[in-house]
Amino acid sequence: MRPFDRWAVGLTVPAVLLTTLFYVLPIAQVLVLSVTEPAPGLANYEQLLGSRAVARVVMTTLEVSLWTTALTIAASYVVAYALVQMRPSVRRVALFMVLVPFWISVLVRAFSWITILRREGLVNLAVTGLGIVDEPLQLVHNRTGVIIGMVHYMMPFAVLLIYANLAGIDRRIMQAGRSLGARPMTVFWKLWVPLSAPGIAVATLFVFIFSLGFLITPTLLGAGRTVMVAEYISVQITNTLRWGVATGLSTMLLVAVGFVVFIAMRQPALRAAFSGRQG
Amino acid sequence: MTKETFAADAVKIAMERFQSGQIDRRTLLTALGALGLVAVARPGVSYAQAKEVVLCNWGGAAVEAFQKAYGEPFTKKSGIKVAIDGAGPTTGAVRAMVESKAVIWDTTDGGMVDGVVLGKGGFLEPIDYTMVDKSKVGPTGAAEFGVANYAFANVLAYDVSKVGATPPTSWADFFDTEKYPGKRTMCKWIQGQLEPVLIADGVKREDLYPLDVDRAFKKLEPLLPQLIFWEGGAQSQQLFRDGEVVMGNIWHTRANLLKKEAPERFTWTWNENVLFWSAWSVPKGNPAGKLVFEFINSSLDPEGQITLLRLMGNGPSNPAAQAVMTAEDKAVDPASPENTKNNIAISTDYYADNEAELQNKFLDFIAT
Repeated sequence: MRPFDRWAVGLTVPAVLLTTLFYVLPIAQVLVLSVTEPAPGLANYEQLLGSRAVARVVMTTLEVSLWTTALTIAASYVVAYALVQMRPSVRRVALFMVLVPFWISVLVRAFSWITILRREGLVNLAVTGLGIVDEPLQLVHNRTGVIIGMVHYMMPFAVLLIYANLAGIDRRIMQAGRSLGARPMTVFWKLWVPLSAPGIAVATLFVFIFSLGFLITPTLLGAGRTVMVAEYISVQITNTLRWGVATGLSTMLLVAVGFVVFIAMRQPALRAAFSGRQG
Repeated sequence: MTKETFAADAVKIAMERFQSGQIDRRTLLTALGALGLVAVARPGVSYAQAKEVVLCNWGGAAVEAFQKAYGEPFTKKSGIKVAIDGAGPTTGAVRAMVESKAVIWDTTDGGMVDGVVLGKGGFLEPIDYTMVDKSKVGPTGAAEFGVANYAFANVLAYDVSKVGATPPTSWADFFDTEKYPGKRTMCKWIQGQLEPVLIADGVKREDLYPLDVDRAFKKLEPLLPQLIFWEGGAQSQQLFRDGEVVMGNIWHTRANLLKKEAPERFTWTWNENVLFWSAWSVPKGNPAGKLVFEFINSSLDPEGQITLLRLMGNGPSNPAAQAVMTAEDKAVDPASPENTKNNIAISTDYYADNEAELQNKFLDFIAT
């Protein structure tokens, strides 16, 4: 290492200390609680693995997260693709609009969605008013509402991740494709999509992992009918005082996420994304 | 979301009527306490000075309401300041505070069941009945680890504009989707949810406990697609306002607010209401020691309790308050004799033993 590099590494020491003190240690405490509370041993894990209710909560979480991921990536790709095609002046405005939701709290967003999706809300007034449906659609207080809220929450992240990737693709490749006689759809499917695989992969991983831990959105938009892991943990901490079970489930979530990342990082597209190379 | 207790909701009701309270140093400390950071923040900070009682309720402007109803009368009598901290004494928070030996609350505004559960866990001081006058509360109001401070009830509220000419009068009507089509709301927190279901299924009120959970679930299952579950009082009120539901099992204070907002449209029946008692408890190792029991004793005087009834709708726990109350007061008090005639009294013992298990079962049952 050159002296400059050594200094650079040295500058990260405060951050490392802070992270260790306020992040790693508390998490370790949680892990320890899961094997000591209420009695030392693995009883909490036995209970968690043997519980049909916990299995259902985990299945719900996986299903909702997979739907959220698929819909978010599809919708975000469209937006990101449109962004790279825009004139810079228009793009500035569009990017701003993508970013606006970032500044609105998750609670406000959840309540706004309820207003829009409820029985006598905007959407239902429109579709029943126009005679498209007779009965109001059930869009909220169920799983549909949860997924809509979560997709909306995740989209800005996914749009930015995919946009960053698309913007870095060498456009001369597309020109070459066109000059060889490829039609626009062919250019899109054979060039854009494969070249943006790293962006899609990173965004997918990010959205999926983030989705697993959602708390407020499913609680409010699901109205008791969609219970995900984070809410279950929260109930065990504050209501039922089953801290051992709560920390055990948290630990399992942590391990599961670690496992997903480990598996994902073996994929070439992700490795490329993290090593900064294209495709 | 953390569980919103009735008390937390009462706070929100008060907020709609008061200016919002400000966050002071104590509130901050409590927040730190809940995060387990008290040990770090503790040195050099002296909270809970001598001659001060720190009360924890659910925050914001109820700080003001409780100060008016409980704090000021006590300070006038004794000269001792009452500090009110609105951090929210969830059982989880009390446990965390006692376990980290950094107790900053002298008394907490929780439920009777919380008192038993936390007491059993060794997180509370027993109520000192040499200092607290038992005769100021009803026969069920004086428990080992909690003393009743006010009453609230779960009632059947409905939207007059949506239930036709013959409004619902009982929980059996709650299940009658032919006569009353449309969605209903119930609470996601288990206390007081299965009792109405069993009553609707023909169980006599004296045979309710122990709850026949399987029977209740069987009765409730066909209704599930028609149900929206609320977890905070404001939410229950909003569901009615928005026209999402035609009727619901909600707190009487919220039904009262709905009726005040739109007397033509919303009302409720006291028939078969589920009566709860909220309670003061004292965390183990509280800073003011025995002094807190003087405060608790003072808080049971009728005058302050009626003040709270008028401010937030919470029913006095001291039966003597009935003699001083106006007809208007009594109409919203779940503990007044007129309203307890046909009610269901919640079993503290049953929930103290079964709530955790039952809550998890219920969450699993209502989730699709």
